[in-house]
Amino acid sequence: MITDTRPLLDPDAVGTAQTSIARVVDALRRVILGKEDTIDEVVAALLGRGHVLLEGLPGLGKTELVKALSRLLSIDFRRIQFTPDLLPTDITGSHILQDVDGRKEFAFHAGPVFTNLLLADEINRASPKTQAALLEAMQERRVTIFGETRPLPLPFFVLATQNPIELEGTYPLPEAQLDRFMFKVDVAGVDRAVLEEILTTRVHGEPPVLTPVLDAAGLQRLFDAVDAVHMPRAVANYTSRLVAATHPESSDAPPQVRQFVKYGSSPRGAIAIGAAARGLALMRGKPNVGFDEIRRVAPAALSHRLVLDYSARLEGWTGRRLLAALIEAVPDVERGLPQTLEART
Amino acid sequence: MLGDNSVRLADDSTVPADRVPASLIPIVRRFSRRLRIGLFLDAFPQWAAGALLAAGCAALVCRLFVPAADPYLFWLLAAPALAILPAAVLSIRRAYRPEEVLALVDALTGGDGAVLTLAERHDQAWSHASQISRAAHAALPRFRPWRRFTIVVPALAFLVIAVLLPQRTPTAGPLPIADDVVSGLSATLKELQSHDLVTPEEEKQLQQEIERVRKAAQERMDASAWEAADAVKEKMAANAAAKRDAASWAQEALARYSAAGGSAGNPDAASAKAEFSKALEALARSGAPLDIQKMLAAGKLPGDAASLGKLAAALGQYLGDVQGRLGDVQGFGGRASRFDPSEFAAAGEGDGAGAGNTPGRGGITRGRADAKLTYGQESLPAERFKAQALPPGYVRSPDDWAPVVNMPGAPIVAPEASGRAAARAYAEDAGQAAWRRTLAPRHQSAVKKYFKP
Repeated sequence: MITDTRPLLDPDAVGTAQTSIARVVDALRRVILGKEDTIDEVVAALLGRGHVLLEGLPGLGKTELVKALSRLLSIDFRRIQFTPDLLPTDITGSHILQDVDGRKEFAFHAGPVFTNLLLADEINRASPKTQAALLEAMQERRVTIFGETRPLPLPFFVLATQNPIELEGTYPLPEAQLDRFMFKVDVAGVDRAVLEEILTTRVHGEPPVLTPVLDAAGLQRLFDAVDAVHMPRAVANYTSRLVAATHPESSDAPPQVRQFVKYGSSPRGAIAIGAAARGLALMRGKPNVGFDEIRRVAPAALSHRLVLDYSARLEGWTGRRLLAALIEAVPDVERGLPQTLEART
Repeated sequence: MLGDNSVRLADDSTVPADRVPASLIPIVRRFSRRLRIGLFLDAFPQWAAGALLAAGCAALVCRLFVPAADPYLFWLLAAPALAILPAAVLSIRRAYRPEEVLALVDALTGGDGAVLTLAERHDQAWSHASQISRAAHAALPRFRPWRRFTIVVPALAFLVIAVLLPQRTPTAGPLPIADDVVSGLSATLKELQSHDLVTPEEEKQLQQEIERVRKAAQERMDASAWEAADAVKEKMAANAAAKRDAASWAQEALARYSAAGGSAGNPDAASAKAEFSKALEALARSGAPLDIQKMLAAGKLPGDAASLGKLAAALGQYLGDVQGRLGDVQGFGGRASRFDPSEFAAAGEGDGAGAGNTPGRGGITRGRADAKLTYGQESLPAERFKAQALPPGYVRSPDDWAPVVNMPGAPIVAPEASGRAAARAYAEDAGQAAWRRTLAPRHQSAVKKYFKP
């Protein structure tokens, strides 16, 4: 058995990282009002170096959230508005014949994918071919054009948005591409109090002006700290049981999963949970991942990886709802208390 | 804790003490101990219930078939003590591993992964973290054994009932009853033998029949065994009576033969002789004395008066002897009959003479034949029901009616019970809604007309 012998993060390092993260989070919360959970999930995914798919109705602040994030981080930011006529080369770039010292030769013009933070707005409006152009970039963090592979700058994040309505003329993302996203964050509407606050604090709905709070080096230090966050073996065991239980043929799967899920999550789901939970633990000022962090990030990391049966739609079961049932059914510790013992609540 | 180096979590597993913060050692030890007790309490009720059921079955068997075990049955109430050993062995085999204990401590005490982390990657810098101090002072899980022990209650009740059952006393089997059935027959036969009232052939035949009755009673003891015994007794009584009748007939026939004089021309003498011959043959078959047997063996009847007198004297003596012997066994002979009321006469009732004087009091004779069919001092029907003239009838006026009680609230009315309302309420069920709903109003009358011309 391979034993992790790295030392734990010291409290000062954890405190510094937590402060840096808190600055980003607080700034985002000033921009996007009433979306604390969404912001936490996006930042946790960012710390876990994962891509995020934001899904929500128009006008809920998806694009604004990503733009705010780009302003807070001193990293390169590009935005692609996906349309049906968008071509793969519009994303990856292409070779253009040009005159160099009197000679005609192809010169590579990098596409917008060569950036640190890529906003893929309304990603489901592009054709599957164009969507697939992002596959290699998202997973391998490199692009191959005309047989030439070019690495993308690090860090590289894709924050994509999509609209769950107006599905005419759209191309739903295939499961393989959905699997590339660490999180699928559902952006919900805002309540009346938030609306009231927006109206009283914003002129024409303009968000406050943001200044960068974290540069690339600081972001890299955060990533190093996230990597040093310890995941206890029992917590890893809980994560693996949780992911395994998403498969309907698993003995641990609750009845809802057996009834409504056709295919469960891939191992990439467990990896995503681990990475995001480490980021969330650091956000909370902890040197280790606990059961609660796993429960917190699991719905966002797994909901889009479940392939649901048609009956799930008929009966109103969504991935999030199924995961709530799953988390309820799978105990934290594999072997619970004896039946004659009762935990105090 | 083993010395200063390890914390004992289970019987065969420890966690190095330097891996667990000092503040957590007490709760980990207490948690581990509680888990062991919990495991034992998980296993014990099932074994205890099993032991109680087994003990209950044993008690039941002893109550039914082993009376000698009666004084020791209450020891079976200690059967649950036997379940302690297997439950303890089982709980030790199922003991939690150290990492399982730590995971439970972490999950249930709000350690939030910190307890596990410090156990895996000890770091003094985090040993005073808030999660650790919270876990160190968390409440342990409480025992709730009673739900598990509910399965013991019916098993215990079964055992208690089995122990408290009255001990079954062994009843006599068919063999003693069979001996009892034939003992009277054997005694009767012995008495007949002692009075020389049975021939060897009859004795042999009766012995065989008695043995047959005894075997039948051994195989199956019911009313038929007693009836068979009664039949054999009646046969014995009939044989004895036949001897007496044969001697009596011979004596009477001899008297008629003597009175006829034995002259050849007298027809009465011939018939008397023939009757006397038959009577002597019957007497011989019933076991006549030797001198009479010799007399008969000669082949001719005596004709002179001296021989007749001698024969008459012998017959008279034999008849007296037989009657005397039968008289000796008179009481026995009475018992040999199928039913002798005198045997069942209750004290104070006598033979029915006294009881019969009181009509209806019963007794074995059921009273006198002319007694009235009444059972005591009850009144006669005519006296009990006396005719009573009713007052003349009259028609009650509606004004005489008065309400018995006024119930609060409005009267219960069911409008759907009325014709039109019911038709409206049940119109859909009656199929009238279909054409109303699916047809335009201007077409409804045409469709109605089509279906109801």
